[in-house]
Order: sequence, then C-alpha cells, then structure tokens
Amino acid sequence: MSESSEVAVELTAALHARPAGRLAQEAARFKAEILLDHEGTTVRPSGVLAVMGLGAVAGSRLVIRATGPDAAQATGALARILAEGD
Amino acid sequence: MTGTVSIVLVSHSARLAEGVAEMARQIASANVTVLTAGGTDEGTLGTSAALVEQALSSADRGAGVVVLPDLGSSVLTTRAVLDSRSEENPDDIVLVDTAFVEGAVAATVTAATGAALGDVVAAAEEARNVRKL
Repeated sequence: MSESSEVAVELTAALHARPAGRLAQEAARFKAEILLDHEGTTVRPSGVLAVMGLGAVAGSRLVIRATGPDAAQATGALARILAEGD
Repeated sequence: MTGTVSIVLVSHSARLAEGVAEMARQIASANVTVLTAGGTDEGTLGTSAALVEQALSSADRGAGVVVLPDLGSSVLTTRAVLDSRSEENPDDIVLVDTAFVEGAVAATVTAATGAALGDVVAAAEEARNVRKL
C-alpha cells in the first residue's frame, strides 16, 4: 500500500540556487514520488531550474507532497532543508 | 559503483566557463567533476581544440561525460576534437544542445545525485525550455 505525506512549510528564506540544489539531491535519495506546490505551480524537486523558477520568496508557503514507501521521511527531509534556508 | 557523470564546459571565454563551473559546483554541492575548456590557448576570446582535448582527457570516463558548448562555434571545435579521437566508447561522451548556464546547472545537479548519463543528458536538454520568468 502506498503511503503519502504532505507537509506545508513557510519559507524562512527565498528558495534560490543553493537550497534548490540541495532539495534536488535530497529528493533523489527517496523512492517516493515528490512534488512541490507553490502559489498554484507544481514542480518536481529534481528539476532544479523549475524549483528556482518558482520565485518562492521568504515568508511564502510551499507544500511538499510525497507518495511512496518512504513518503514521510521524504517530506521530513525536504522540510528540514527548507527550514535551514541558505 | 562507477563515479558520477562528468561535465565539460566549452566556451569562448575562460572566465565565463570557470564562472559557470563554479556556480554549478556550488549549487550541486557535491563531488561532481566539472571541467572547462574556455578561450584560446593564448587566453583570448575563442575556442581551443587543445583545451577541449585536455578537458575530455581529464574527465573520468567511468560514468560518461556531458559536453556543453556556449555557442555554435564551440560545437565545431568540440566535434573536430571528438572526430580526431580514436574512441573505444564514443557513446559515453555526449555533446548536448542547450542553454549554457541552465544546462550546466541542471546537468551538474543531476549528476550529483548519481544519475546515469542518459538522465544527465535529459536534464541538460530540458533546460533549453525552462523559463525564468
């Protein structure tokens, strides 16, 4: 049975190049399929350019959704990276 | 496990190539080999077959190499170098047509995840269509 997990984060810093890079690499560690929602746009964290293209500023809300065997670990890991900021 | 895919940036400008390489390495924040062949042998604007050859020779061929040219004439130089090499495995060096900066970043980040050559090539190619606004 497929597990799913969803975590909403409020960004402490703008989601630019370095955190986007970290998200991409971290997401690749998990089996779960992961999506990021921001102001009506959904991207895969593996797409580092698309993540940067979200233009997600500090204080904005981003939802991390994961589906798969390690979904909860995946959302937790990505949420931690976003909490760290740059 | 073989290493990560290597990236070679071919540019008319040594500083441009190094700048893009530095940015890509920092964003990828992991051990990916990003090599540059920028400018002429004299350090002026242009491309150098010798520098491209040197970069390709330095690249770890274990997992394959993605080559990104900045402009069309970098393609000419790179193709001339590839044609002049006697290759056992020519398919593991792939010249990708994409935006230089975006392709370098996407390719390096993807390579850093341990992705196979095909996936790194795909990421670099996708970069061609990504809008920034």
